Amino acid sequence: MLGFSNISLSNFLFWATQKKWFLFSIILGVCLLNIPSPEGLPIEGKTAIIILVVALVLIIKEPIPLPAVAIFIIISQIYSNVDSVDGIAKSFMSDAVFFIMGSLMLAVVIIRQGWDSRIALGILKITGNKTSNIALGFLSISALLSSFIGEHTVAAIMLPIGMSLIRFTSSDLSQIKGLSATILFSIAYGCLIGSIGTPSGGGRNVIMINYLNQSDISISYFEWMVRTYPFILFQIPIVNWVIIRTFKPEYKILDSSIRKLVIKVARSRSMTGRNTLTVLIFFLIVLGWVFLSEKFGLGTIALSGVFIYLIGGFVKWSDLNRNTHWGVIILFGSTISLGTSIRLTGAATWLSDKILYGLGDVISSVPFVSDLLVIFMTTGMSNVLSSSATVAVLGPVTLNLVPEMLDVGLLTAMSSAFSYFTAVAAPACTIVYSSGMVKASDFLKIGLRVGFVSIILLIFYVNVYWPLIN
Amino acid sequence: MKILIAIGSKDFSKPTLKLGMKVAQAFNAKTTIIDVGEKISEFSSQLVELAQDQLESWDFDAPGVDVLEWAFNYLSQNKLIDIKQTETGFPKNKLIDDGEGRKMVYLSGTTCEDVNLILRNGDIIAELREEVQFGEYDVTILGKSRKRNMSHDLLQYINSSILIVNDYEDQKFDKILLPLDYKDGMLKVAKYAIRVAMALNVGIDIFTVFDKNKSQNKGSNYFSKIIKFIRRSGVQYSHEEKEGEIVEQIIKKADKNKIIVMKASDMSPIKRFFKGSIPLSVMNECDVPILIVK
Repeated sequence: MLGFSNISLSNFLFWATQKKWFLFSIILGVCLLNIPSPEGLPIEGKTAIIILVVALVLIIKEPIPLPAVAIFIIISQIYSNVDSVDGIAKSFMSDAVFFIMGSLMLAVVIIRQGWDSRIALGILKITGNKTSNIALGFLSISALLSSFIGEHTVAAIMLPIGMSLIRFTSSDLSQIKGLSATILFSIAYGCLIGSIGTPSGGGRNVIMINYLNQSDISISYFEWMVRTYPFILFQIPIVNWVIIRTFKPEYKILDSSIRKLVIKVARSRSMTGRNTLTVLIFFLIVLGWVFLSEKFGLGTIALSGVFIYLIGGFVKWSDLNRNTHWGVIILFGSTISLGTSIRLTGAATWLSDKILYGLGDVISSVPFVSDLLVIFMTTGMSNVLSSSATVAVLGPVTLNLVPEMLDVGLLTAMSSAFSYFTAVAAPACTIVYSSGMVKASDFLKIGLRVGFVSIILLIFYVNVYWPLIN
Repeated sequence: MKILIAIGSKDFSKPTLKLGMKVAQAFNAKTTIIDVGEKISEFSSQLVELAQDQLESWDFDAPGVDVLEWAFNYLSQNKLIDIKQTETGFPKNKLIDDGEGRKMVYLSGTTCEDVNLILRNGDIIAELREEVQFGEYDVTILGKSRKRNMSHDLLQYINSSILIVNDYEDQKFDKILLPLDYKDGMLKVAKYAIRVAMALNVGIDIFTVFDKNKSQNKGSNYFSKIIKFIRRSGVQYSHEEKEGEIVEQIIKKADKNKIIVMKASDMSPIKRFFKGSIPLSVMNECDVPILIVK
């Protein structure tokens, strides 16, 4: 056909099939560009929204590599005059991107320090041999650690401990499906629950702080904790109860498996002075986040930690380079720059005005509607996208929905952690899912229950606790 | 000759491995067994890898290694690999990661040439296509999928002959069904059919269906050459001609006891993409193993 060989035609068809979502998003973008700009929406704002829609399709369906999506977001903003080259470059490299970069690098250092054995012993000492207590132990420790370290790091540290306990209980996994799900979901959901507790719990928190700073609102590390940490403490026992009720573990007592795990841990290599030093440096980083982040930024402190680890020889650059996903960092940078453009072009105000206009009197006459709206929008998007990307693109819109910007900003960041429904939404869930011990359908089964309970709890929390401390 | 056998799980892949290895023996082929694991979201891929490294330090295998281990045990129980390699069990430490998300272990075969085990992650069609291009395989063998469009994509994009294994049991299949028409290019199909028939020790039913609406060049010299070729191979055969709708007649004739060996469509990829083809329709509708020769 037209001089093309059957092999080249077949190659083209394969490319087109694999890239169908890319082709769809480009056609969609071109169609939207040809629609006249709605009243009140500047042309740059309309273009920014179209780039957002196209980017969302590309991020969710992944027809092209994520770094390619990042590059698309950057160049399309420049070519379509949404912002200047300098403007895009400036918003691209923010403290939030420094933090995401630093936290991914810190994960590489921390995971290799052998903390897992100590944590395993710690959990078992506290919880004893009762399954429900052990699940509570996994959930609590995961939540407490992830509120400072970051969910992905904690999930990677906790997963082998949980899997060992499961394997020591029975080698036939079909006999202990309930127990496996209980332990593994305690880890995954513990990581998600904890990630909202401090600004360093996740990149999304830092992105939100970035947006709040752009609106001249500042919040310190400690203030963030005062506003969010009690919610973690409320959630832990309730989510533990929901997990146990949903999966009904086959064994109520895990006596022999605990003994085997203790022996296994005792045989593992003991912590060296160097490992202890790594812990101490990390402790200093946390102190830096608490006391110095308002002045220097969370990202700068995280990168300072990486710098110390590198010059101290605690980690090799080759190791950091190999295990850090630079594509994800570029993508976060570009989504933040797009979020900034959406705000600066007036698209965010236009979108939030449209939402408020659509809801009419409901928002003022029915209680909690604005809270529910923010929670549903953020939760829905973070379950198909990623929580950080969700905050990056939704943040500028939700911040315009109500006058209390700090409250709605925190609400957005907190509900972006409700990515309970799918295995792909949060790195902690994907890591647990990659064990092969839980199914994708399990995430929906438990996610719906935990999600429902968390939403109710969050509405109650922000409307009772926050007015008390405001 | 190079054969690629794709397995997916210990529960459903036994018939695929069984028939696949028999065919590999028949061709004395260099054989690769591949497990394609689920695609990991690019957002978390690096973090998942980091977690997998951590799991390895606790003696846990990466997902998919258990499937390769099961395949290794099958090969060693059936003495299909060198006995020296089976003594120490599955050589996990010899799984070589080539850095492109592809892990492999080399084993020396006994009844066929070397047997390699490979682990990949991602979209099954894309990964198989890449592996076939990389290893220049002649036949790809895999179980029937319930996924819509899977057969279409396999025929359309995998650049090798395709054997789809449907519920294979030794005793159940006593014949090879070889649908032939009087067009050129059937000799390769006949060769494949003879090899498979010899491997399974069964005869061949040559079957020619005439479409009522189309004229056929009956009794070409080329066709008699093929018949002669089959006769000379020593495999028992019979030849039947029938008039009717081609797909329907082939499926009816295959019944539940014949393995179909037929030629891939000659249509251009674009036409095949939109219109489908006779081999694709047979593949979709039949309940028996089917080898489409490209």
